[in-house]
Amino acid sequence: MTDARKSQGDRLSEAEAIERAKQGHEEAFEVLYHLHKRRVYSLCLRMTANTAAAEDLTQEAFLQLFRKIGTFRGESAFSTWLHRMAVNVVLMQLRKKGLPLVSLEETMETEEESPKKEPGAEDVRLAGSLNRLQLEQAIDDLPPGYRMVFLLHDVEGYEHNEIAEMVGCSIGNSKSQLHKARMKLRELLKTSRAEKATQP
Amino acid sequence: MTCEEFGRVLPELEGDHHNIEQEEHLKTCSFCSGLVSDLNAISAQARLLAEDQEPSPRLWNSIAIALRQEGLIRDPQASARLLGLRLGRWRLAWLKPVTIALVVGAALLLELQRIPRETPVAQQAATSVPVIGTADGVSQGSAIDADQVQLLNLVGSRAPAMRAGYESDLRAVNAYIRDAETSVRNNPNDAIAQQYLMNAYEQRAMVYEMAMNRALP
Repeated sequence: MTDARKSQGDRLSEAEAIERAKQGHEEAFEVLYHLHKRRVYSLCLRMTANTAAAEDLTQEAFLQLFRKIGTFRGESAFSTWLHRMAVNVVLMQLRKKGLPLVSLEETMETEEESPKKEPGAEDVRLAGSLNRLQLEQAIDDLPPGYRMVFLLHDVEGYEHNEIAEMVGCSIGNSKSQLHKARMKLRELLKTSRAEKATQP
Repeated sequence: MTCEEFGRVLPELEGDHHNIEQEEHLKTCSFCSGLVSDLNAISAQARLLAEDQEPSPRLWNSIAIALRQEGLIRDPQASARLLGLRLGRWRLAWLKPVTIALVVGAALLLELQRIPRETPVAQQAATSVPVIGTADGVSQGSAIDADQVQLLNLVGSRAPAMRAGYESDLRAVNAYIRDAETSVRNNPNDAIAQQYLMNAYEQRAMVYEMAMNRALP
């Protein structure tokens, strides 16, 4: 729990803050911002791999949230509602920039669908030795389409049907992209490990 | 089941949910079981990445400024009530914000007097204000004066974590004002330059207002 959540969340619960924010109270907006800023910013940063762009998107996501907070009726969790909005802001921005969310090229790659045995290749397992920094670096090196689906599913926890709707692809395509992303990550991580092992 | 067959169904598998045939294959094939183990390890580690980055402290200030401009923040006094202000404490502390307000007001008046007379007052109705620059991009003109230091000290005494954010905003807005003033001086009849200057003053006034709210006991 962040300091902000401790200091402000204790003073004003999320439900109270939502109701007060609907009436235009600044402190309530601030409480909601501090409660959710890390997750929204983390998402934006990973999607864009750029801190300035991530802050712009985070700002836009929260502004959209606060503009629409009067329509929040509590049918879903507030965090779900906010996060969905943040994802949509990011996706909208990427579309504006013309970046393919799921590229045809990546979709048509099929050689990674099935695992290949490489005779003589050392099969060192990642399990138990994988750390956060290695994974972050590998995610940054993923092609954008793979990265998007991997982040939404494995990092953010969305289901394939939700991803398909958000990104505008089929459920099968989402599953395929996710699998390819994981395979690519495994390859990147093993390559990175092998390079480090050969360094003096 | 062969490795090829297992590879074809692998994208459809979720977590450790495998049917009997797949389980049997995994028991006998170290290659496929190693692959599944690696992919699960990647997924498990990915879950830990969901919430580990912190935006800069100044981001909230930018959002608050935009909220005020859009009129979404409607009742600053209510914010003070949320902070738990009590009348008794206010009685003791009223001199502090009033003094700051007077200092800030005087500074703004002095600056407004320095604007060329051609500046149309109507331009004050700004429609959009550029986003404050980051501290990294702020030049020498961003130096903060004694009054601002005093204000920052008050903020720091109430909310130490917010001081750096407000200082960054003040430096950025000071640099913005300096650039805008230079533009107006060089092009006294340029309506856009005058508009930028008014916007810059307005932005600083908003930062002052937010900082003073933060500095209240």
